[in-house]
Amino acid sequence: MNRADWMLLLPEIVLCGGGVLVLMLDAISPALRRAFTALSLLTTIVAAWAVYYVTPGHTVTDFGATFHGLLETSPTTAAFSYVILIATGLCLLASQGYLRRERILSGEYHALLLWCATGLLLMLRATELLTVFLSLELLSLCLYSLAAYHRKLAISGEAAIKYFLMGAFVSAFVLYGIALVYGATGTTRFAEIGAALAGQPAMPVFAILGFLMLIAGFGFKMSLVPFHAWSPDTYQGAPSPFVAFLSVAPKVASALVLYRLLGAVVQGGGQVNVDRWSTVVAILSVLSMVVGNLLALVQRDLKRMLAYSGIAHMGYLLLALVTLDRTSLMPVLVYLLAYVLMNAGAFTVVAMLYSRPGEQHLISDLAGWGYRYPLLGGCLTICMLSLGGIPPTIGFLGKYVVFLKAVGDGHVGLAITGVLASLLGVFYYLRVVYYLYMKPETRQPEGLLIDVWGRTAAVAAALGTLALGIWPTGLLQWLIAATTAK
Amino acid sequence: METFLTLLVGNTLTRLVFFPTFAALPLFFFGRARAQAAKVYSLVVALIEVLFGGLYLFSHLSADGSFPLVHDGALPWIASYGIKYDLAMDGISMPLVMLGILLLPVVILGSWKGIEKHWPLFGASMLLLTTGVLGTLLAYDLFLFYVYWEVMLVPMYLLIGIWGGERRIYAAVKFFLFTMAGSLLMLIAILWMAWTFKGLNGGAWSFAYTDLLRLDLPVHQQIWLFAAFALTFAIKVPMFPLHTWLPDAHVEAPTGGSVILAGILLKLGTYGFLRFAIPLFPHASEAARPLLLSLAIIGIIYGALVAWVQADMKKLVAYSSIAHLGFVMLGLIAVDAIAWQGSLLQMVNHGLSTGALFLLVGMLYDRRHTKKFDEFGGLAKVMPVFAFFLVFSSLASVGLPALNGFVGEFMILIGSFRTLGWLPVAIATFGVVLAAIYLLKMIQLTIFGPITKDENRKLTDLNGRELAALIPLCIFMIWIGVAPNTFLQPSRKALDGVLADYRGRISTPAVTQASLRAPATQVSSNTTEAGR
Repeated sequence: MNRADWMLLLPEIVLCGGGVLVLMLDAISPALRRAFTALSLLTTIVAAWAVYYVTPGHTVTDFGATFHGLLETSPTTAAFSYVILIATGLCLLASQGYLRRERILSGEYHALLLWCATGLLLMLRATELLTVFLSLELLSLCLYSLAAYHRKLAISGEAAIKYFLMGAFVSAFVLYGIALVYGATGTTRFAEIGAALAGQPAMPVFAILGFLMLIAGFGFKMSLVPFHAWSPDTYQGAPSPFVAFLSVAPKVASALVLYRLLGAVVQGGGQVNVDRWSTVVAILSVLSMVVGNLLALVQRDLKRMLAYSGIAHMGYLLLALVTLDRTSLMPVLVYLLAYVLMNAGAFTVVAMLYSRPGEQHLISDLAGWGYRYPLLGGCLTICMLSLGGIPPTIGFLGKYVVFLKAVGDGHVGLAITGVLASLLGVFYYLRVVYYLYMKPETRQPEGLLIDVWGRTAAVAAALGTLALGIWPTGLLQWLIAATTAK
Repeated sequence: METFLTLLVGNTLTRLVFFPTFAALPLFFFGRARAQAAKVYSLVVALIEVLFGGLYLFSHLSADGSFPLVHDGALPWIASYGIKYDLAMDGISMPLVMLGILLLPVVILGSWKGIEKHWPLFGASMLLLTTGVLGTLLAYDLFLFYVYWEVMLVPMYLLIGIWGGERRIYAAVKFFLFTMAGSLLMLIAILWMAWTFKGLNGGAWSFAYTDLLRLDLPVHQQIWLFAAFALTFAIKVPMFPLHTWLPDAHVEAPTGGSVILAGILLKLGTYGFLRFAIPLFPHASEAARPLLLSLAIIGIIYGALVAWVQADMKKLVAYSSIAHLGFVMLGLIAVDAIAWQGSLLQMVNHGLSTGALFLLVGMLYDRRHTKKFDEFGGLAKVMPVFAFFLVFSSLASVGLPALNGFVGEFMILIGSFRTLGWLPVAIATFGVVLAAIYLLKMIQLTIFGPITKDENRKLTDLNGRELAALIPLCIFMIWIGVAPNTFLQPSRKALDGVLADYRGRISTPAVTQASLRAPATQVSSNTTEAGR
């Protein structure tokens, strides 16, 4: 452990330190609370710069891994980190107005959020399972607390308890899975697990069991069917701007961990084994796409609908992982970036347009508000069209790269299932649009607080969704370079 | 190295496609109060677009009256996948593009009074829709084509859903889902073709139309791909069992929406067959001929019979569209030089005459707020000018000689007779008779006979704005009827080229292994330079 190691940890140090600073300032001078969003945003931006700074090939360092290879620093992890920091930034922007409106503005919120980001950044850089587990725990504890952040609301506590109970089980699963894999292979490092398995004629039963547990664990974080049950309840009860983060960021890091895990798994046991794990992923994918979309179809609560639609989106994303190779990462990353922008954008608008967080967020309550709030209505519409995969949005681009990969791997049937499922999706996303523009108003706005921070978040997300959909040239080139560089 | 911006300001297809989009942006800032300003602004934009269209047409029309293939200079777009921003116009797309542009001011004039709320948004939707339509017709890269194809959906969805009738939301969602259902499968087919092309092309991606046209595929693969493409286009046309969205969409849509829908959107389906489905998969389309032929014939008769029993003028015109497009499909399936020319002409004809009929129904609706036959009768006495235009447009639609519809239908029937034999032609001809019956029924019930309702006695005749919308359409109806060659000549070479290629490919049995043909030479580079 030397100075270079610590240098490579700079992004996490910045985020963690920013959180501590906010918390201390809150204790010293509560009058500064209004400035915490700006301070936290600044921290996020500095962290993004730090990610750039430590990425090999950019500046001083050329160490690929740090802490004896426990953490990886590569263009790939950098790209994933940026996506997480974008989600953090959007969430921070959306939160200010909500926290002020609900009179719960204090430093803990920002600190916890920054620590979530710390955990996520660590998790996606981790090259071995125990580090993954530690960062997962750091992440999860902060997420549970944030879900319960609206103390005065029973529903917020309920959301957190549900999330916590399930999450605690999952932590145990993950830990037990790690133990089993360690028992079978004698190591916890992804690269060595793969190498250890490659030497064996058939996969040990313990290893299979362990991997299934790990997949279940990260499937839970990504809310894949059948590990999805927590997400609608948690999304519904947790503070809306925080859901903008919860619904996207943990999935980003978990997807990369899942990729690494599967990358290790498929090395052992020959083609039979590869096919077997492909089937597992394919089943998870189809289940998520179909069940997620079908359940979203019948939701009347916007937050629950977005929760189920999120399940479906992770199903589409898995299509790129069915046949695992180096080209899997680029579609995954594009899809995650798309998902972050459009989903966080949608939740940002939800946070601003619904003033009673304890009650249902009925889609029909938005009736006619597209004309009352042209800017926010327009942003929500763009996000919905993007979620539905209508060009020229980044949501379409994400579907395009994922389906292209699936078709290229020969999974035409899966791709067709995917597009048919997304047709269901279009139906309920359009419902939001027609309530916004085609139905007469049913309620007067009261108690809303639409501030400039929130508007910025919504506009940034919607503009990003559109701009990257219309002109994705540079983005794709950069992501392809980032994910294939080694 | 040219960029998008240099293309945008020149006399190019890019300007034609994107001028409406950029012109639509200010409309979002008009606010609710300035409806009148928004109307005038939209009309001015539409007229400028017509000017651009005319300018483009006459700067590229050859001396012999044919229209060459003109590229806009393909710019790299999503370079990682070899996707290019590539617009090109040839004799096949030219008439439809010009029709689409011509309908824009007509529609705006026709919606002047009928659209009572959110006019700026209406104008913006109309302009964005035009961009989508023109882009779809001009895209020479299949990815780009798909993007435009989907882009069209959103403005049309808004047009039906915001300004439509009572069941507008049902109709709008149905329209959206039907169209999207087909096109998503087409997307998978396009992706599959791109992979196959990449595999045969040494690992280089391309979605270019001319590249994918070089793919020679075994029959079973062609069948699946053709099915995906044909389903998409058949929904759009719409062909017989897939037509159910159309009456709903037409009846609920506002006048302007109906005119655009019937006038140009439906043609994108038949255009898709002619441009993509048939040339890309010749053996499969040969195999699918009996099926498509039966559906087209059923469409002709079914559309006519259902139109006959309607009590609602707009529904009648909507079902007549199904019958007319059945004719167009019949011509396309015939795969014959004359039939294809007739089909292409008939696409334009249908846009003109049905567009005019929808406008007239809309004008009546603006005055009486009903479209039912039994509410009218004897209108010729109070609205003689209206009556004249209704009779005129109906006769054009029926196919009276010396008007446009006759030429198209006659050519389709002649061409089909040559390749399909007498039976389909005989049945289709029966469809023409039925068309005469239901349109004459409409005329008789609305404008002739005694005035039965007192409300109808005070109706005012067409005003200057309404005449301005109708007269351009009628001029073209006569012009095409008396001088059809002027309108057939531009397309002849392009259609013959496609036909020769098609016949060449089906004359040899399909390959058993996917392979790549040599690049076609007739897509020459001299046309690229002509674009500027």
